[in-house]
Amino acid sequence: MKISPDQPAENPFAFRECFLMPMPIGKKAINLRELLQAVRELDESVLYYHIFQSRLAIAQPGEEYPNEFARWAATALQDIKLAEKLSSFDPFDYDNLAQVRQAVVDILEEYLWDIPYVPWARSGFEFYFCEASTVVMRSQIRADTLLKFCESLRKVGLDSMYYHFFEARWRLGVRKADDFSFWIETNFGLPELVAAIRGIDIYFYSLREIRDTLLGLIHQHLGELCDRTQ
Amino acid sequence: MIGLNDYAPIVGQEVIDQLQRLAERLGPRRFIHVNSTRAGGGVAEILYRAVPLLQQLGLDVKWEVIHGDQKFFEITKAMHNALQGYKVHLSPAMLDHYREINRENARKFTWESDFVLVHDPQPAYLINFLRPQAKHWIWRCHIDASRPERHVWKFLQEIVSQYEASVFSMSQFAQNLPHPQYLIRPSIDPLSEKNRELTTAEVQEVLDRLEIERDKPIILQVSRFDSFKDPVGVIEAFRMVRRHTPCKLVLAGGEAIDDPEGPRIFAEVMEAAKDEPDIQILLLPPDAHHEVNALQRAADIIVQKSTREGFGLTVTEAMWKGKPVIGGAVGGIVLQLRDYTTGFLVHSPEGCAFRIRYLLHRPEMARRMGKMAREFVRQHFLTTRNIRDYLTLMILRENPTERIMEL
Repeated sequence: MKISPDQPAENPFAFRECFLMPMPIGKKAINLRELLQAVRELDESVLYYHIFQSRLAIAQPGEEYPNEFARWAATALQDIKLAEKLSSFDPFDYDNLAQVRQAVVDILEEYLWDIPYVPWARSGFEFYFCEASTVVMRSQIRADTLLKFCESLRKVGLDSMYYHFFEARWRLGVRKADDFSFWIETNFGLPELVAAIRGIDIYFYSLREIRDTLLGLIHQHLGELCDRTQ
Repeated sequence: MIGLNDYAPIVGQEVIDQLQRLAERLGPRRFIHVNSTRAGGGVAEILYRAVPLLQQLGLDVKWEVIHGDQKFFEITKAMHNALQGYKVHLSPAMLDHYREINRENARKFTWESDFVLVHDPQPAYLINFLRPQAKHWIWRCHIDASRPERHVWKFLQEIVSQYEASVFSMSQFAQNLPHPQYLIRPSIDPLSEKNRELTTAEVQEVLDRLEIERDKPIILQVSRFDSFKDPVGVIEAFRMVRRHTPCKLVLAGGEAIDDPEGPRIFAEVMEAAKDEPDIQILLLPPDAHHEVNALQRAADIIVQKSTREGFGLTVTEAMWKGKPVIGGAVGGIVLQLRDYTTGFLVHSPEGCAFRIRYLLHRPEMARRMGKMAREFVRQHFLTTRNIRDYLTLMILRENPTERIMEL
């Protein structure tokens, strides 16, 4: 289906910006059993931080592991098998954080059940738990056409990518779909593009990669339109 | 004068626009920083740039410095060491002197403010005298307080508990305190004299002046002459490398006026390095930013073999210059360096020697790691991110019951 790049949306897309302030809670785990106990007991906000928010707070270039538990298993416990298991679990398979918590507990419990020792973190690499406070601000950047949407994607910070793909879905419990594909779907249709965006393996990508992939998909589906924003 | 827009080519225009939007939402707040030195050390360097940038964003910002005698700074240095885990004894008379110097300083401060950010233990006691002069008091700890000495921490804990929030550089430094604790990682200024781009001629001029020949690969550690930075361990590591691979070591140490231990450590280093022509020890003044910049750019490998570290801004600076960095696996260095990606973490002089040799023999790997390190710093550790965190913190503290603040 062809649409004009200047076709106005019924509802303009208002980008939001998301500022995260990590808050250490003063608790740590020095071995896998302590991590398991903490994952069972700590607030969901702590779990949420280490599974989702940490990628906005800090991320090494070419980060290999999609969540901080997996990375800790690899670098601190130096237990690659556990890191593989924790990396392959996808929190988007679950409906709420209680289920996500149970999934992580299951992985850790099963792993500890099968080994005759408790893996310990090397010195200086203990797991320190955090949660975060967030300031969400309605940005002045708005898009009322797909053309402007493409332009805007290049202007907004990576925090906006985080907000519209992660924060809105989980913290606010709005819907299963990300904000971008939802907006395109409800304003322009474009089912192929919408399906492609929803198919992005977002949990595995860094925020920068998500932005590049998203721009790539729009470019692929609406080549001429996107070229005009270069 | 350097303005916010000068950062756009480095961090991207979107980052600058975002700061302006955030500051607009916050409004023209009065914001005071208090620390104990205007030059020397990472805190002064951060404030030197952050204060004018916050002013440009429309905030009314002041930077106050407390003054004290040598005895006061010896006491606060001991507190600093105690927070880093060393056994120190502070007598009641010393604690009285600490309180008294704070009282004297408090008399000079007549400002009123919305926010006061008090940096480190030296001026922490000011809150006892000045509390009504500001709405929000926040304590900013830049020190690795992960295993503080108990008696000194108990003393400080009582003082710090009076603040409405505290800010640490790493989550492991957070303490048992009766108020919210936040994490703000420190930052470096890419436009400062210590970090700006230099021409080859500028670098060479400094090397000529400091009489450093580039006849062999240069290993560099830049840090104050402080036992926690383990300069003697670096010399040990260097001697191990030298048995196999030609290279030279430059130890460049700044002095800070709040550090009475500097001269003693410096003498120990001189003793360890004697009779070794390929080790050069440079005692640089606190304002030798240009020289440090040039040395870092001239170095082939940069080392920061600390045994305790708050955050390790010298690591950040080295990474920003695209250098492979080998750091002690302590404090904030662990956060910054990832093995084979942005640097190497080591646990001993032997480990340090091993990684120096590894990188000297793999220059392509060293270049790639340096490039990744620079990008990592660009995204997380530049001044603009610190400014954003200050603005966010103020918005959150004005709405203390909200975990998600929607503006």
